[in-house]
Amino acid sequence: MIELRAIRKVFNQGRHNEFCALHDVDLSIGENQVTVLRGPSGSGKTTLLSIIGCLSRPTSGRVSLQQRDISGFSERFLTDIRRHTFGFVFQQFNLIKGISVLENVMTPAYPLGLDYAELRQRALALLEQMQLGHRASAPVEWLSGGEAQRAAIARALINDPQVIIADEPTANLDTHLSKRFLEIAERLRERGKTLLLTSHDPLVCESAVVDRVVEMRDGRLV
Amino acid sequence: MLLNPAIIALLIASLVSLLMIGWSSLFGWQVLRNWDIRSGSEGQLILERRTYLVSTLLSFVFAVQAISLLLFIFNAEQMSSLFVGAMCAVGTLNVNPYGMPTLLIKIVVFFLAAIWLVINQLDTRGYDYPLTRHKYRLLLAITPFVALEAYLQLQYFLGLDADVITSCCGSLFGGERETLATELAGLPPLPAMFGFYIIIGLTIASALWYQRRRTGGYLLAGMSALGFAASIVAIVSFLSLYIYEHPHHHCPFCVLQGEYHFQGYLLYIPLFAATALGLGVGVIQPFKQVASLREVAPVMARRLGLAALALFLFFTLWTILAIWNSNLRLIGA
Repeated sequence: MIELRAIRKVFNQGRHNEFCALHDVDLSIGENQVTVLRGPSGSGKTTLLSIIGCLSRPTSGRVSLQQRDISGFSERFLTDIRRHTFGFVFQQFNLIKGISVLENVMTPAYPLGLDYAELRQRALALLEQMQLGHRASAPVEWLSGGEAQRAAIARALINDPQVIIADEPTANLDTHLSKRFLEIAERLRERGKTLLLTSHDPLVCESAVVDRVVEMRDGRLV
Repeated sequence: MLLNPAIIALLIASLVSLLMIGWSSLFGWQVLRNWDIRSGSEGQLILERRTYLVSTLLSFVFAVQAISLLLFIFNAEQMSSLFVGAMCAVGTLNVNPYGMPTLLIKIVVFFLAAIWLVINQLDTRGYDYPLTRHKYRLLLAITPFVALEAYLQLQYFLGLDADVITSCCGSLFGGERETLATELAGLPPLPAMFGFYIIIGLTIASALWYQRRRTGGYLLAGMSALGFAASIVAIVSFLSLYIYEHPHHHCPFCVLQGEYHFQGYLLYIPLFAATALGLGVGVIQPFKQVASLREVAPVMARRLGLAALALFLFFTLWTILAIWNSNLRLIGA
């Protein structure tokens, strides 16, 4: 489904502080699988994840999605892919403060111009699935860590993406909440979704839900 | 003369355009030599990213070129009061031998720029840079024209001398010498009118046909070019007479004056835009079968065709209105 060929990512190229975060990474990620990128801090997991999710571009190399090269796409096409193909769950959740949980979940769908009532129903249904229906109208500041993460997952699912990308999803959660996250991941895989996670949490990497663990160190696959 | 605000604006626009196009051409040359969409090399990715910057820059430059054509004509019209013998833009443009060639080259650049913008717009709609090489080839072809235009315009403005006694439009379009201008002015009104309305009618019909059947894109482009030529002939041979209400005043520039309610702008702007859009429909045709453009190219061609149709209709109705409202009777009087 996702193919990476000779991906290299250099930050501050040509400057005194040039840093190569990824060195010629080749990787293929299968459909309807849970793949975990595991490695210590600075191993390039998040950089690789952001390139796969079209949030940043490689310095060289190609990324293809369903046999179509997307690494050279313009912002117009990348935006479309980000909206329809990928759902993102960030490490700090990145929920927008000052608005309700429901509005946070609906936000990524606004640019698609869907019918508001239909969109609201869809967002409420997702919150119900995440057992957050009772918190729909609450401001996000009131949510606990686990609730905030589930709200972030609901937001990632609002456009029904094929691939869910989660960066260190259990980094801020205790064991109980991490297990709940893995249950959600399993349900998503059962629904045909592809999950791509970064983690160095043994609970995640050794879970039966995970199909494949890709080891990374110093910007290379080990 | 050089301190005239419009002249300063035109010279700066010309210099900036030339610099930007020159830099873009160098980039275009790199694209033509090194572009390889199958490669994931750093160089290829840099070219892919930079092509968006260059395209944006060139879109700006070509938009400036279109405005520059308008300002050049407007300025020529405004400056006519400064030259002895000049009654309108014709006199100003005839002050030295560079005026008319500058205007002609500006018109050529306008249409070439319009074609480039259409190709660029289409290219950005395809996910795999389908027309990138084509647009840079065209850019390299346009660059000499822009450079020539900048040179001619500079020579023209440097050579403006208020002491020169220039010729008015009456001598250009009504003199004894046999020139293209006097030939056009000498056309008998009735056949010229019939010829014009048949050609412009066929142009509109081809645009309508394209809207309905989605075929005949090349025909529309050809008819747009023919319609443009026929319209210029019509303005010189009979339309100007109706606007001025004078049986011997054939000037295509005096219509731009306030004395005639600036009607010329309402004739020329839709005519030039319609022709450029009609040509654009033809330009799109060979790229309809490109895989990544199969959906967007017909939609874009249809939109351009619709805009061309609307503008040709507006132009034609305006000519009819000008004749209808005129107190001059050339036929059946």
